[in-house]
Amino acid sequence: MALLETENLVKEFGGLVATDEVNLSVEEGERVSIIGPNGAGKSTLVNLITRRLDPTSGDIRFKGESIVGHDPHEVVQMGVSKSFQTASIFSDLTVRENAEIAALASEHGSFGFKLLEHRDSLTGVHQVARDTLDAVGLLDQADRQASELPYGDKRRLEIGIALAAEPDLLLMDEPTAGMSPEETEATVDLVEEVKRELGLTFVLIEHDMEIVFRISDRIVVLNRGQVIAEGTPDEIKGDAAVQEAYLGGVEL
Amino acid sequence: MSFHIEAITVLLNGLQQGAIYILLAVGLSIILGTLKFVNFAHGALYLIGTYAGLLIALEVNLTSGQLQAWGFGQLGLGLGYIPALLIVPFVVFVVGLAMERWVVEPFKNRPDTDQILVTFGLAIIVQELFRAFFGSSSLPFSQPSWAQGPPQVPFLAAIPISSWRYYVIGITAVLVLIVYLLVEFTDFGLVVRAGTRDPEMVELLGIRLSRPYIVVFGIGAALAGVAGVVGGPLNPVNPTIGNEILVPAFLTVVIGGVGSIAGAVLGGVLFGVTQAVLVATYSAWAQVGLYAIAAIVLLVRPQGLLGEAEVAP
Amino acid sequence: MSDEPAAAADGETGSSFADTVGIWMPRGDELRVMTATAVVLAVFPFVFSRMPVVSDLLQGYQSLATLILIWGIFALGFDLLLGYTGLLSFGHAAFWGGAAYAAGVFSQHVSGSPILMVLAGTVFAVLLAWFLGFLSLRRGGIYFAILTLAFAQMMFYMSSSPLAFITGGENGFTGVETAELFGLFPLESELPLVLETLLGTWLYAFVAVIALLCVALGYRILHSPYGMVFRAIRENEQRAEFVGLNVWRYRLMSFIISGFFAGVAGSLFVIHGTYVPLSSLYWTTSGEVVIMTVLGGTGSLFGPVVGAGVYLYVENIVSGGHPFEFVAPFWHLILGLVFVVTIWVFPRGIWGFFRDVRDYVTGGED
Repeated sequence: MALLETENLVKEFGGLVATDEVNLSVEEGERVSIIGPNGAGKSTLVNLITRRLDPTSGDIRFKGESIVGHDPHEVVQMGVSKSFQTASIFSDLTVRENAEIAALASEHGSFGFKLLEHRDSLTGVHQVARDTLDAVGLLDQADRQASELPYGDKRRLEIGIALAAEPDLLLMDEPTAGMSPEETEATVDLVEEVKRELGLTFVLIEHDMEIVFRISDRIVVLNRGQVIAEGTPDEIKGDAAVQEAYLGGVEL
Repeated sequence: MSFHIEAITVLLNGLQQGAIYILLAVGLSIILGTLKFVNFAHGALYLIGTYAGLLIALEVNLTSGQLQAWGFGQLGLGLGYIPALLIVPFVVFVVGLAMERWVVEPFKNRPDTDQILVTFGLAIIVQELFRAFFGSSSLPFSQPSWAQGPPQVPFLAAIPISSWRYYVIGITAVLVLIVYLLVEFTDFGLVVRAGTRDPEMVELLGIRLSRPYIVVFGIGAALAGVAGVVGGPLNPVNPTIGNEILVPAFLTVVIGGVGSIAGAVLGGVLFGVTQAVLVATYSAWAQVGLYAIAAIVLLVRPQGLLGEAEVAP
Repeated sequence: MSDEPAAAADGETGSSFADTVGIWMPRGDELRVMTATAVVLAVFPFVFSRMPVVSDLLQGYQSLATLILIWGIFALGFDLLLGYTGLLSFGHAAFWGGAAYAAGVFSQHVSGSPILMVLAGTVFAVLLAWFLGFLSLRRGGIYFAILTLAFAQMMFYMSSSPLAFITGGENGFTGVETAELFGLFPLESELPLVLETLLGTWLYAFVAVIALLCVALGYRILHSPYGMVFRAIRENEQRAEFVGLNVWRYRLMSFIISGFFAGVAGSLFVIHGTYVPLSSLYWTTSGEVVIMTVLGGTGSLFGPVVGAGVYLYVENIVSGGHPFEFVAPFWHLILGLVFVVTIWVFPRGIWGFFRDVRDYVTGGED
């Protein structure tokens, strides 16, 4: 059984069809990249999976269970985490607290835990937060206020927040957008490392072809809301339809 | 008095009260829709309109306040009601422009809560300035002599409603129609409507929104000023009138649907008429009834009667 | 709220008994904060209303000291909502006034025990906060302020006429019958020995103990996971949703918690004044607590209490004339101006301002 499946997923905005009968299937442990030109429906697809948008028709299943009808926070609880395109962090909190929030949320359900409990007694949460910050290389900056971090580190923290929720599936929306080449390199290494150590399943939305071809097991190409090709990086490189619709004259 | 005369009286009273709500709500609503700015000082604009109208139209003898203490107890130009109706909207329009420029603009990038707080503080300052200078006691603001008593035309003469209330309804109808046409059929309106839907897109298209915004704010303010002039002679005039009118005006907006002029009109009529009917029947419940309607509408249609459901980006 | 044992359990030894006790044991800073609060509460009425020279300068009096604590509790709870969760309510008069009426009516018909009155008023406020919060949180952001305002106004009009047979309508509720504390001590009577000099009346002592408990509770909440979640929601609502937090329910919880504090304070208000004015439900009362909180400093535990003190001081002493004759008629205007300047220039209020000054002087970290 696939970890994540979409079945004939359609989303229309007014008359505009953003995703058109998309059938996507992601196996456990797989790294799948979704690529496509601007307006191909990539972001819409992610927003549908995270339940930020309601589909017009079709179904989304995670671990075999339909998630249409669940709230976004419930989907996160089920194990789908998302890292944002921009550094969407809690600026006024410390780096450590940023990670702790995510760990807390996943560990203690969407609502609950004791009102009068002191935070220091939540050792499990602290451990997860610590491990996560260590993994994304921000442990030495744990006590800084998140807003003080340089942009690249904010983006790493953003990914850290997504990881601290201990997801089964991580959706990454252009994780390297706006990064310098060095930061991009570090982020790719980070993804590789997380993949190796945590065995996570990734769905990556990315513009940077080099990254896509380097770290994907499988690539799905969207154009005008439809899947026009699907396959290993090598297959995609050689696919005429993709060349035509998307890659155009770009040298690979 | 026969039942149908009474019913018509109640209905007209309701429409007149609704007209005041509409004048305030249309301004609040287009400001909220385009600028995404909650203006807690809208009642203060109404207050300024009322006092300005009073001081232009009549001569006033202050009985308290600093002006009286300093020997300026006799105020007012005594020009009459028509000049007041013509001048006040411009005065309050300018006040609105100033507010947009010096209060709204600087708070554009602050959190919503700060925007609300600063206009709330501004409302207090305006109210207290009027209290300090013109005193707390109510000032007489009578309806003009030519508009007292029912209009001397067939049928209406039999209904015990002063002509002034018809004027209020008429003036409101004309002004709201003008604003509606402005928003629906001019380039200015196009930018306003687009700005309501998707401000980022409008900016991306290279249209500078700051100028339409300041005009939107000025128009909203001017409408509140008119509401103050026409509503003034119907109630005692004192510094708290702005505070009192603010809440029903907000509710009218929320019930009608933010950004919708038609919604504001519908909400205002609904509120005014309901209030008048309840006053005539179960007067103890008159105010509560309004809020109950508001609660029901919000439970059934959170976006308001004519509002559009919010679209996720 | 579920009672499932927090994950704290794993890794930590100890019986469930030790866990239960452990929760109530003060930790680290908490003890320090509580002690400092207790000391301030103990000397405040003396300094304010009886200490030679100082009290003459301040023109303070005992009853105002008590009132400041009561509004301080109200503002403290309000800040949990505004300063930490980032929600601006203009409807807290409903909980303050509602609790005052509930406690007053309770004293007339059931029991005048001050403790039971506070309980009754608080329970009423919490239930009301639950209901109004549920309605008002249906629309996010800017609508919240308008909706809370509207529903609280509805309470005002309810009590002004349809319910006038219970509430006394325009005249306010006059039937308050407060009994002795523990059945022994009339609240207005003086405390024995040195306590009289320090605290003055039993009423003050009663309010001060509750204020201390409220500070402890507030401190606890802010240092519990809730405190962190509240701040996270204020900082970035969308991200909070996407780490799996049920933002809506946490907001409701925060609203109810602040309703709880407003209820405690409103109940004390009726015990203090033995009268509930109708205006306690009017929206300007909500406005007052907003001003106090912002003036004192949002996002801090004690800032709002300081704000309450400053506000009431200006309202009751500065407005009264000597030695403030020149500004007395303009006291409300001055508060309005100071309020706007605060939002504009010092969004963190008096408390934040002094913290900044301290950081500047000591050159850094707190």
